[in-house]
Amino acid sequence: MLTIALPKGRLQTPALERFVAAGVVPDEEPGASRKLIIPAGRDARYVILKDQDVPLYVERGAADLGVCGLDQVLESNADLMVPIDFGFGKCRLCLAAPRESSVTAELGRSLRVASKYPRLTAQWFARRGVPVDLITLSGSVELAAVSGLTDAIVDLVESGRTLAENGLAVVGEILEVSARLVVNRAAYRLKVEELLPLLEKLG
Amino acid sequence: MDPAVPLPGTQDLLFDGARRLRRCETALCEVFEKAGYAEVIPPVIESADVFGTEAFRALDRSGRLLALRSDFTAQVARIAATRLSGVSPLRLYYRGSVVRRDRESVLERLQAGCELVGEPGADADAEVLALAAASLQALGLKQARISLGSTGYFEALARAAAVSERLARALHDAVDRKDLPTLRSLCEREVPPGQARDALLMLAQPPRPRAQAAELLARAESLAPGEEARAALRRLAEVLSRTRVAELEVDLGEVRGLGYYTGLVFNLYAPGAPRPVGGGGRYDTLLGRFGDPRPAVGFSLDLDALVPLAC
Repeated sequence: MLTIALPKGRLQTPALERFVAAGVVPDEEPGASRKLIIPAGRDARYVILKDQDVPLYVERGAADLGVCGLDQVLESNADLMVPIDFGFGKCRLCLAAPRESSVTAELGRSLRVASKYPRLTAQWFARRGVPVDLITLSGSVELAAVSGLTDAIVDLVESGRTLAENGLAVVGEILEVSARLVVNRAAYRLKVEELLPLLEKLG
Repeated sequence: MDPAVPLPGTQDLLFDGARRLRRCETALCEVFEKAGYAEVIPPVIESADVFGTEAFRALDRSGRLLALRSDFTAQVARIAATRLSGVSPLRLYYRGSVVRRDRESVLERLQAGCELVGEPGADADAEVLALAAASLQALGLKQARISLGSTGYFEALARAAAVSERLARALHDAVDRKDLPTLRSLCEREVPPGQARDALLMLAQPPRPRAQAAELLARAESLAPGEEARAALRRLAEVLSRTRVAELEVDLGEVRGLGYYTGLVFNLYAPGAPRPVGGGGRYDTLLGRFGDPRPAVGFSLDLDALVPLAC
């Protein structure tokens, strides 16, 4: 029996399509009910999670494998196998600042930065030797820079429209993101007979 | 910090929990003793030089840096290289807890393990593997897996490809996570084409059960760029031929281990545990740090993970 962590939100439909194409068909449409666990035949089941919780569920073995963005994989610092890049869910994790501001790619001074990604943000600034006053928010991160709470923000940028509409511009790129398959370390060894045929079809 | 509660990452063991731990320890000690291993009990605190930076450290009154035990193997290596210098072979075992600095605070783990010092050969590797398998059996664990690889092989490939230390670390991380997309892009961008690159790319392949291992090793040997890499593969094949452990699988991408491993490396997996429940490997240079360069191989078991699974 394989337990597959499926993220809610924009990754869910393309992720499910890939698994269905690989033969793991859910007994009912996720979202058709409020069920959190959806069987898929006798040998698999889906658990429906927020994408940022996927790495933790898989690392701790509550799910054997799952799908989430590379941003969540790295931000969680979870100890996982990441054998497949699905290629969908593409976006970039960027540093952005108000268009008129003096924040540039050559960061010299201490900055105040808001983000939902404290770990990746701290790491990126540390590598550049720039001290940073990090404020962790849970949503509407753009507002932090617009309202003057911070000098800049670090957030996912897909088309750049949200940034542009709020008078922000990309100052630096931190990470190219796409959806990844994550697999629990022990499951990768202990359930290899079940996993390998599935990985081949997904890859 | 609330003094009424143990720190996160530590625990009080009471009644049944304590009884179960002692029962497992007793079962393991019996296996170790029967195989000819003798117990050593090193101190819980000593010079920080013995351990890595993961150890929990403090200064004493005269300003010397001390550390709580974070690794039994380093202590056993110190004992073997000093008080037991020149006595070969040595078969030693230990049990107790290690303390490591963790993301948040500290982490205490109960361990038991064995070290075989002074034997350089594949026979010693096979002996230690068989003993690790017997330990899991003694705890009543069924369907465990032992994943066998070689850090020596990875290092030989990295040297043959003449990669920088930074790139070697990135490659190691990608191999360890079976991250084929990253491994491929690192190789394409930064490793010159050739046998070493092809061999590196093979490391993200899935593990093979013992029955298919010979085929995998033969294919890897046909790609191996040089004598050092070929020797590491031949050593793996030799170890396989000398052990009858059924739970073995070969994974050339099994590169995770303690920093001082030099050749064979293995990790133990058991149903019900989301992480390895133990691991081991060969460390032929560690004793040299204490002035008595001798080869050694060993393994340790994570009792916090194993005791709840044992019957």
